[in-house]
Amino acid sequence: MNNIFSTVKSFYHKLGSFPWFYKFSSKFIPIVFILGFPIFFLGIIWGIYFSPTDVTQGEIYRIIYLHVPAASVAQTVYFAMAIAGFVYVVWKMKMAGLFIYAMAPIGASFTILALISGAIWGQPTWGTWWIWDARLTSTLVLLLFYLVIIGLYSSFDNKKSADQAVSILTMVGAINLPIIKKSVDWWNTLHQPATIKVFSESSIANEMLYPLLICIFSFYILVFLFGLMAMRAEIAKRELNKSWFKNLVLGND
Amino acid sequence: MNFIKTFFSREILVYSKKSSNIISPIVFFLICITFFPLAVSNDPSQLSRFAPGIIWICILLSGMLSVQTIFKEDFDDGSLDLFYAKDFSILQIVLIKIIVNWLFSALPLIILSSSMVFLLYFPISNLLNLLSSLLIGTIIISFFGALAGALSLGKNSILASAIMLPLSLPVLILGSSASTYSSENIGFFLLLLLSLLFLTIPIISLACMGAIRLHYE
Repeated sequence: MNNIFSTVKSFYHKLGSFPWFYKFSSKFIPIVFILGFPIFFLGIIWGIYFSPTDVTQGEIYRIIYLHVPAASVAQTVYFAMAIAGFVYVVWKMKMAGLFIYAMAPIGASFTILALISGAIWGQPTWGTWWIWDARLTSTLVLLLFYLVIIGLYSSFDNKKSADQAVSILTMVGAINLPIIKKSVDWWNTLHQPATIKVFSESSIANEMLYPLLICIFSFYILVFLFGLMAMRAEIAKRELNKSWFKNLVLGND
Repeated sequence: MNFIKTFFSREILVYSKKSSNIISPIVFFLICITFFPLAVSNDPSQLSRFAPGIIWICILLSGMLSVQTIFKEDFDDGSLDLFYAKDFSILQIVLIKIIVNWLFSALPLIILSSSMVFLLYFPISNLLNLLSSLLIGTIIISFFGALAGALSLGKNSILASAIMLPLSLPVLILGSSASTYSSENIGFFLLLLLSLLFLTIPIISLACMGAIRLHYE
């Protein structure tokens, strides 16, 4: 037990070091790359060509294989960023601040993907591109938070205070987002007789569920890959003049 | 205790020296309110239906004005540096500043918004709900505004409002709902607002302290 704990602890301490992370992740990236894209194409092709047509929605429902994974990733990335913000504020681990910086644009783009694919899906099925439903509104607010985080980050010259400020904002936003979603829910149920349910999760057939799960899984792997690459790029930017980086790049190591 | 008293009276003095601190939110609020009948519709029945939303939006937007002023002057002239260096309690400073800022920028608007009964044909039966929801909601907005101001010290003013407005969304939703309903649902939304207030005060005070500290690291 003690042994496991000390291993985790040493891993955590190593994770905080830029050189170690840079070298470690360079071994990791090819594996993730080889793993991620085939699974992604498997899920998408299975979903688009081989899964059965939906009885009520027809062929248009197939956008689910982009929409649901993107929406799921968008939320998870934000809460991962909030946890990283907590880690940064409490333990001042500089890798956590870098994580937030690297993930914010990725999360924002997946939120935009979820919103656009949702609108394209909503037009033929609900007859409208947009509806002020709790899910849609909270996703839009999520996008706003991502954009504010990116904006706040870029306004600082000093990376250290930028990390601190963004960590605080991300944590406050993470507390705020469920409240927004809940309050839109209450407001909606009182204003409108019935909100449109996207689909009830239990009613989905297995033939549709498996490719969907594969798609969700592959999106997480891809986000992991993109995150690693963005973090490495940012490390390279911050440590450009450090000797370890020069040695590594120029091959003197 | 002595420090709290001194600091409180200092803040009151600073705010009352500048008449723009009171005047500009009021002017902005009235202009915003005037826009709605001119742009949307001057039909009394429609206006009275939209009145809670209009009032809340205008309150939120005029809250945006005071966001920058709350810590900016003390940050620019270096008094905040002194407070920080002299080991004064940042928490007390933050809380007093928020209270005084609320007294000068939000309280006049709350009083003024009772005149919306005439201007926007706000139903008089809901007036008590509107005022009580404004009373709770503006405090929450002031806290979010203080956080936004503290995070964006020395930055441009758009950023502070961009931080504050998305954070204040639940207040807008709950507050305007509380003032829409006259009888049965009023307790529900007001209690939610109140619980949001009690959630906000400790979390945002802590976040504000952290946000001020980061400028001195």
